[in-house]
Amino acid sequence: MFLTELFRTATFRLTLMAVAAMAGVMVMQFTLVYTQMEAVESRRSTALLRGEARLLAQMTPEHLEYVIRKRATDDLRLVISSAGLFDASHAVITGDLHSWPKGLVADGKSHNIEIYPEEGAPYPLRLLAEPLPDGTILVLGRSFHLLGEQKLMLRHATLVAAVPTLLFALLLGIVLSRRALFRVKEMHEAIDLIMAGDIHERLPAGKERDDVERLAGSVNRMLDRLERLMDGMREVGNDIAHDLRTPLSRVRAKLERALASGGEREALEAAVGGAVDNLDQCLGIITALLRIAELESSRRRAGFETVSLNDLGADVVDLYEPIAETEGVTLVMQPTAMPVCLNGDRHLLIELLVNLVDNAIKFTPEGGQVTVSITPLDSSVCLSVTDTGIGIAPEERGAVLSRFYRSDKSRHVPGSGLGLSLVAAIADLHDATVAIEAGPGGRGTRVNITFVLQHP
Amino acid sequence: MTEETELNRQAEFEDPVPPGPSGGVVLLIEDDSAIAEEIVGELMARGFDVRHEETGDAGLTAALLGEAHVMVVDRLLPGMDGLTVIETVRQRGIRTPVLVLSALSAVDDRVRGLKAGGDDYLTKPFAMEELVARVEALLRRPDDTRSTKLRVGPLSMDLIERRVWRDGREIELLPREFRLLEYLMRRPEQVLTRSMMLEDVWQYRFIPRTNLVDVHIGKLRRKVDAPGEEPLIRSIRGTGFLLRVPD
Repeated sequence: MFLTELFRTATFRLTLMAVAAMAGVMVMQFTLVYTQMEAVESRRSTALLRGEARLLAQMTPEHLEYVIRKRATDDLRLVISSAGLFDASHAVITGDLHSWPKGLVADGKSHNIEIYPEEGAPYPLRLLAEPLPDGTILVLGRSFHLLGEQKLMLRHATLVAAVPTLLFALLLGIVLSRRALFRVKEMHEAIDLIMAGDIHERLPAGKERDDVERLAGSVNRMLDRLERLMDGMREVGNDIAHDLRTPLSRVRAKLERALASGGEREALEAAVGGAVDNLDQCLGIITALLRIAELESSRRRAGFETVSLNDLGADVVDLYEPIAETEGVTLVMQPTAMPVCLNGDRHLLIELLVNLVDNAIKFTPEGGQVTVSITPLDSSVCLSVTDTGIGIAPEERGAVLSRFYRSDKSRHVPGSGLGLSLVAAIADLHDATVAIEAGPGGRGTRVNITFVLQHP
Repeated sequence: MTEETELNRQAEFEDPVPPGPSGGVVLLIEDDSAIAEEIVGELMARGFDVRHEETGDAGLTAALLGEAHVMVVDRLLPGMDGLTVIETVRQRGIRTPVLVLSALSAVDDRVRGLKAGGDDYLTKPFAMEELVARVEALLRRPDDTRSTKLRVGPLSMDLIERRVWRDGREIELLPREFRLLEYLMRRPEQVLTRSMMLEDVWQYRFIPRTNLVDVHIGKLRRKVDAPGEEPLIRSIRGTGFLLRVPD
């Protein structure tokens, strides 16, 4: 169970591969050294045989025969292991070779030849046959014994070196894999906790010194961002719940009072009418929320067409002039001399401007002024709505664009509180920026929507 | 301030109950039984003959009989989808006006609903008055005449010269007031809701305040109904407005 798990870790597999590579390299090394050794030994044998043959050839035949015979009974055969003297017809005269080795040519060069002794297993010898002036042939041989011994030594040395090395590498691999397995297990546990709902849990990232820790660090930063988003959503959810609860509790109170009133028709009608108004307010909030969600999710530009900002402003001012008049506010339109057109959704842009103008009128006291102006800039155009109303404090200007934010000063004014978020969503769809500043002379509010103009 | 007193004064002339029914057969295709019950009850009370079907297939069968004068079709139905029903009905050459009901409020959905052959689109939730007004409007669609003069009771309008008279008195109107009065005069004795006017006169659908239309109507009313004259533009409580034709 543990082994299968171990084998499935990437670290362990890498270790196994490294161990196999190491073993391969060792075999190659052994082969190379052995081949080199064999070549050296072969050259050395030939040189030794030649030197000895030359030395012996200078002796008198009698002396040579004596030396050979003596050598055959001698034990010291370290350099030359076999020696023999043969006549011209390859018959033995003396020496420790009982017959002429099969395939040996008397040419004074060394040959590897298999010797078949009278008893015992055949063995290879490096042989050299030197014809002598008196017609006899001197045969000298050197065994491969030394080479075999060296080979054995080399193999032994290699094994002695390789086995502990490979075992150590394997052990290290297991330890490292276990560590990796443990870290992955830790991460799995952390992820399970997060999935179970504990969004504050983080992966163990240490000091982000290696790749795994860096990966964990990246995941943690992603989780941070998600957590912030979720907090934001929760906040919005709370705000929605709160903003819906207020009118709904009013509905409840009104209906309850109507029930208790004893069924007087006028009281009932007033209560139901009020309840319907409050419910309309709730529905308005829900509709606005759905609208914003729709605008934020669809990056659709199918409805885009060429829209003249002057016409847009004139249309909205035409729609709002009577209501501004009713509330004692002057609504002024300042168009550009040269008409400015941009690519956008006309209905959405109207909605944007309507919300701005509606807000401006709402927050401007009687006798004030609301101005819709269009200012061409270098490569952009600014659509502004300026009012002489209560103004927005600098520290609140960013917040009013987010959902549901309502300045304390405006708590008493009815509305969904979503108008400016809707404006922000529509502006965003048109790649326009929204900026809020104080009106001229530091009084009131000026909202600037800056559209980038695409020049063909 | 003067506008408010104006509105208050007009409120005295509010009709508690909208004018009598125009009748007609309505085919309602709606799967939500609670809403369907409300709609059927309301329409019956207004003198309509209502047939109700709950599925797209049954609705289509009923629609193909061609007995209905107007159809109210929910967008999402079990079995056959509401839009498919409308498309099939239109393919068979049946021109019965259709009001599409939907919980989907996205612009796309509305466009799709109208493209499939719907004549009007109403997003849930809606006030019953709104539904009734729209059904009535579909039943009495204005004549698409090319006439250049309109006449309703004492009012007459010249569409080419852009001039309006009440009996002998000429009424000076701003262009926006002229458009609004033209809309009313093409639909006399018909309840027109605020959202219908915003959609049809201004082509706006997302307006943050509902009393916008009231202010426009108030301005127009002050010019049309001079003191001492019989009021022609009436407010219908909780619903909208109506241009009355005096007997």
